[in-house]
Amino acid sequence: MKCYVCAKEGRSPDAVAVGIICGMGLCTEHAMREELDMWEGGYPFPARRVKAKIPRILCPECYHALKGK
Amino acid sequence: MSDLAKRCIAELTGTALLVYFGAGAAAITLMIARGTDTGTPFNSGIGALGGLGDWFAIGMAFAIVIAAVIYSMGRVSGAHINPAVTIALWATKRFPPGETGAYIVAQLIGGALGSLLFAASAGMDAVTVGGLGATAPFPGIGYGQAILAEAIGTFVLMMVIMGVAVDKKAPQGFAGLVIGLTVGGVITTIGNLTGSSLNTARTFGPYLIDSLLGGPDLWVYFPIYVIGPIVGAVVAAFFYGYIGGEAVTVE
Repeated sequence: MKCYVCAKEGRSPDAVAVGIICGMGLCTEHAMREELDMWEGGYPFPARRVKAKIPRILCPECYHALKGK
Repeated sequence: MSDLAKRCIAELTGTALLVYFGAGAAAITLMIARGTDTGTPFNSGIGALGGLGDWFAIGMAFAIVIAAVIYSMGRVSGAHINPAVTIALWATKRFPPGETGAYIVAQLIGGALGSLLFAASAGMDAVTVGGLGATAPFPGIGYGQAILAEAIGTFVLMMVIMGVAVDKKAPQGFAGLVIGLTVGGVITTIGNLTGSSLNTARTFGPYLIDSLLGGPDLWVYFPIYVIGPIVGAVVAAFFYGYIGGEAVTVE
């Protein structure tokens, strides 16, 4: 699989990751790592944020949408 | 503001909503049925209009507000909105001892606030005719019978909480709906025995505000709604822990 972002620019590096939201193939340059909070608990216990994070790979467009930029 | 304070505010708010809409539905039913010939001393007004359907309607008011509170505040405070539930979770070492007292105080204040807001919304008839939906044993139901009925009703409620929420193998997302409907079903059956409180705070609120605003004085019955729900909930929590074995993970 090739990097979709690079392909739009006429380049063809191999993809090393897939965006978790849109499924886009991404090269090392365009794969954006985001660490999401992880929670435990919930009814009938209060939910608590734990130290561990969930790593997620996003494409640049999804990353900017997530961050509201 | 500390995290515990915010969670106590959530418990207070949830219990206030429970009493406003649940006990409020019972008060409204009595106000609507005012002057109706009940036909039997076992009928105090709730049941005069639609028989057991009156209790079903009140049960559904409880069911819907309980589901709403659990889904909206379950992740914030745990949405116990019931001292018996908090005590049962504490007794089985699932809830921190240092927070148990604060939760119970918040629930009792919430119950009183819910009744006060209902009286302010519905007027003095809600106090003098509806008794703010306060619970009491019905004619022919003795003190011991009332405690037994409250204990059995709360046993069912706590068993369901353990099965659909505390048990880690329980399917996610159903707790609010199932627990609300369970309370509604229990109310339909034992409502005409004890008022089906299942919750010390739900009875404390109407009792306190009735006392302050000139409504019925029912404090002699208050121990029923302390002993019955707490015994029922604690027994259910230990019982489920025993039969559920390793399926129930201690928090």
